[in-house]
Amino acid sequence: MVRVKSRYLLCEVNVSDRSLLLLLDDRAIAAAVKSVVARIHGDYGAALCSIRFSVKYLNAHTGIVFLRFPKRCYKLLWSALPFITSVESRGQNIPCFLNCLHVGGTIRTCQKFLVRYNTQQLHRMLPKCKNEEERQEVRKAILNCSLTRQNKETFQDETESEEDEEE
Amino acid sequence: MSVFMDLNLSYTTDKNRLQSVIETAAHLGFSTVAINYGFEPTAKKKQEIPTPKPINELIDQLPIVQGRSRPIRVLNRLTVVMSDSSHFRPNAAEYRSFDLLAVQPTTEKLFHSACMLLDIDIICISVTEKLPFFFKRAPVNGAVDRGVVFELCYSAAIRDSTMRRYTIANALSLMESCKGKNVILSSAAEKALELRGPYDITNLGLLFGLSDAEAKEAISSTCRSVLLHAETRKTASGIIYTTKTCSDSTCQQEAPARSELCEAPAAKRPHLAE
Repeated sequence: MVRVKSRYLLCEVNVSDRSLLLLLDDRAIAAAVKSVVARIHGDYGAALCSIRFSVKYLNAHTGIVFLRFPKRCYKLLWSALPFITSVESRGQNIPCFLNCLHVGGTIRTCQKFLVRYNTQQLHRMLPKCKNEEERQEVRKAILNCSLTRQNKETFQDETESEEDEEE
Repeated sequence: MSVFMDLNLSYTTDKNRLQSVIETAAHLGFSTVAINYGFEPTAKKKQEIPTPKPINELIDQLPIVQGRSRPIRVLNRLTVVMSDSSHFRPNAAEYRSFDLLAVQPTTEKLFHSACMLLDIDIICISVTEKLPFFFKRAPVNGAVDRGVVFELCYSAAIRDSTMRRYTIANALSLMESCKGKNVILSSAAEKALELRGPYDITNLGLLFGLSDAEAKEAISSTCRSVLLHAETRKTASGIIYTTKTCSDSTCQQEAPARSELCEAPAAKRPHLAE
C-alpha cells in the first residue's frame, strides 16, 4: 500500500501588533490562501488548491500554522503565499505576512522542528526579560521541557503562553 | 542554513519604521541588510547627493539574527537613477561614504555603459514600468564577467497587481539573457510587512524564471560576492587596504569603530584569493 503524499508547510504569521494574532482562526487562513492562489495562478491554481489543501493546525498565541498541500504541486502553490498581505478574520482585516520556516513530508517532522524552533525562540527572548524573577521563571520552564521527555509538549505550551504575557 | 542577505531596504526619515524593518529582517534570518538611499538627478536643478546616516544613530541596539548569536550587519547603499550619462559622476567624493553603489539605467545606451564601463556593484532593473529596452546579450555577458550584478525587487509585486505583471515580465526577459547568473533578489521594503522570509523568496524565484539553486544563490552567495566586489572598489582590487592610525587622544573615540571596519576585509581576504 502506498500512501498519498503531501507536503506540510510550517509557516509563521508575522503581524506588527501581536495581540491581533488571537483573532485568527483556521478558516480565515484557508480562505486567504485560497483567494491568493486564485489571484496569482488563476483557475488552474484554484483547482489544485481545492484537492487536498487544508490548514492542519493553528496556534493563535505564537502564530504558527501548518498548511497541507499535495506533493506534486506544492511549489506552485507555495509561490503564491508571499503575496498574502492581509487575512480577513471575524470582520477585521489583519495586515500580516506568512513566513515559511520548514517544509516537511509528515506532520511529525514538522512538529519536531517546531519544538526545536520554539526552544530557540525562548533563548532569544530570555535577555529581554524585565527583571530577575521573570528570567528565573522562564529559565526553569526551559529546563523542565528539555529534561523530561514525556511532559515535553505540555511544558512547551505553558512556556509559550508565558512568553506572550511578557511581550 | 546559509547566510541570507537583503541588500535593499528603503530609507525613510521615520526612525521607528526603519527600526522595525531592521528588527523584522533580523527575525526572518537575514544577517546582512543594506539601507538604500535613492538619488534621482534631474536636468533642471542641481541636487545634493544624500549622505548616509551613521547606523548607530538610526538604531540603538542592533537585533540578534535568528538562529545565530551575532547582531545583524547594516550597510549603506546609494542608488542613482540615470537618465543621462552625466548623472553618474565617477570619483565623486560623496560616493565613497557608501558601502554599495547601484545605478538604475533608463535607456539602452546607459544600460550598456553601466554594464561595461561604470565602476559600480549593482544594476537595478526597474520593476514599476514596462521595460523601455531589451537586454542584449553582449552587455549582460560583460557585466557577468566584471562581477556586476542585476537586482530585482519584489516588494512592488506584493503591493500591486499591475506591478506584479511588470516585475515578472521584466524578470523573465532578464533571465533569458543572463540565464540566472549574477542576479540578486531584494525587497526594497518600506514597511516591515513588505519583507518576506528567505525560503519564501527562494520559492518566489520560480516565478521569476530562476531554478531552485539559482534562486538560493540570488539571496546568499551572489550577495556575498557583491559585498566583496564593493570592497575591491574601495581598496585597489582588495590587495591594499589603507587605514588611518590614530595617535591623538581626540581620535581615540573613533578608534573602535575604525578597527571594526578594518577587521571585516582582513577576514575576507583569503576568500578573495580563492
